[in-house]
Amino acid sequence: MDLFTELEKVTRHEHEHGELPDWLAEPIYTVISNPHHYQGKDYLIEMLIDQLNEYDVYAEAGCCRWASDHEDIKRTLGKLNQ
Amino acid sequence: MTVYLDCASTTPTEPSVAEVMRRFIDVDYGNAASPIHDYGTFARMAVDHARGQIAKLVKVRRDAVIFTSGATEANNLAILGLRQYGTQTARRHVICSAIEHKAVLEPLEALTQSGFEMTLIPVDSDGRIIVDKLQRAMRPDTLLVSTMQVNNETGVKQPLTEIAEMLSEHHAYWHVDAAQGFGKELESITHPRIDMISISGHKIYGPKGVGALITRKRNGQSPPLKQLIYGGDQERGLRPGTLPVPLIAGLGEAARCALRRHEERLAKVTSIRTRALAALAELNPVINSPAAQSLPHYINISLPGIPSATAIEALAGTVAVSSTSACTSHTMAPSYVLKAMGRSEAETTSALRFSWCHLTEDVDWGAVVAILQKLRQHTGH
Repeated sequence: MDLFTELEKVTRHEHEHGELPDWLAEPIYTVISNPHHYQGKDYLIEMLIDQLNEYDVYAEAGCCRWASDHEDIKRTLGKLNQ
Repeated sequence: MTVYLDCASTTPTEPSVAEVMRRFIDVDYGNAASPIHDYGTFARMAVDHARGQIAKLVKVRRDAVIFTSGATEANNLAILGLRQYGTQTARRHVICSAIEHKAVLEPLEALTQSGFEMTLIPVDSDGRIIVDKLQRAMRPDTLLVSTMQVNNETGVKQPLTEIAEMLSEHHAYWHVDAAQGFGKELESITHPRIDMISISGHKIYGPKGVGALITRKRNGQSPPLKQLIYGGDQERGLRPGTLPVPLIAGLGEAARCALRRHEERLAKVTSIRTRALAALAELNPVINSPAAQSLPHYINISLPGIPSATAIEALAGTVAVSSTSACTSHTMAPSYVLKAMGRSEAETTSALRFSWCHLTEDVDWGAVVAILQKLRQHTGH
C-alpha cells in the first residue's frame, strides 16, 4: 500500500472511530491531499503513521511511555511542514 | 570494477538509511535523554520510532528492543547478563551449537570460568543443528540455550521451529543470534518461545556500530538480565550511555525497508543465486550451502586443491569474496563451521563464500569460473 493511502486509512480510522480530535486530523488531511508537497519525506510520513497507529490521549500519563500523544503528532507535522 | 560479493561480512548501506542518518547528524542532533526541548524531544521520538520499526519485524512490543553497539554486544548481554541469575538459582549449565559465531562462543566460554558448564551440540552434514542431540543435552539446571538463526559462513537456516517445539516444556532461556538472518528470513524469529534475539545494523543495509537485543516476555516476565556496564538508566538500565540517535534511526529505517521491500529483495537475490549456481556448477564444487536449507543470499563452496587465499587473491580484480567469517578470516585458520559439518581438510581449506544482496551489480560469472578453472589447471586438480 502506498504511504499516503496508508496515512489516510489510519487517520480516518482514528478520527472517525478513535479519539483523534478534529484540530489534529485537519492538518493531516491537508498532508494527504497534497502528496506532491511532501515528496522525499517518507521517513516523517512513516513516523506519522506509526504515531497514529499508537495514538493514545493519555500516552504521557503512566510511568512508561509506550504510545504517542497529540504533542508527538503535532511535532511531526511541524517537521513535515518545515 | 570489482563487484562486492562479501555481503555476509557487511552489507552496503541502503541510500534511504544514509539519508535518514544525515538528518540526525546535520539537523536534528538532540539527545534522546533530554526531551526538555524540541531537539531532545524529536530525538526521543526518532528512537521510539526506530524501536517500533524493529519490533514490527519480530512481532513484539517496542519496549522489548534494547539498543546496543551491535550483535556482539547484544550476545554478550544475553549470555553474561544471565550469570548472576544462574549463580543465584544454581542453574549453571549452558548449551550452544558447534557452529555459533565467536560472539556467542566466547561469552559462553567466559561463563565456564565462573563455574558454568557448557555443552556443544553437533550439526549434520548440511550444517543444521541436530535437535535430537540438543534435546538429549537438556538438564534440569540448564539455564540457557543459544542457537543462531542463520549460519554466517554457509547461510544455512537453523531449525528454529523444531527447537521451539522441543523447548516448549523446558524452562531454559533461549537466545537466538539473528545477526545474519534478521530482515532476510522473517518468519522463524517471530516464534513466541524465543526469549532473546540479537541483531546487527550493518548486516541489513544499516550502519555499523548499532544493533539490539530484543527480549520477549514469558509468563509476563522478561529474562532476568543484569547490565554489563554502569553509568545511567538508558535502555531500562541494561545498556547505559547516550543513545546514538543517527545510528538508531538508520537501523530503524533499515528494518522498515526489510519489511516493506522483502519480496522484491528476495526475488533479486534468488535470481543472482540461480545464475551463480548454474555457472559454478562447471567447477563441480562441494556445496556447503544446500539451496533448500540456505538463505538465497549465499553460496559457500569448496574447491579442493585450490587454497582459499589463492582463489580470493586471483578473484580480487573481478569479485571481492571471503572464505570464512570476517571475525576469523584474518587468522587464516580453516573454518571450524565446515569442520563441524564433517568436511575434510582439503574442503575446509579451499572454501569460498560468495554473498550478495539486492544492491549487488551484475556479476560476470563466466569470468569468475574462468579464473578458478585456470587455478585448478595450475594445481593439477
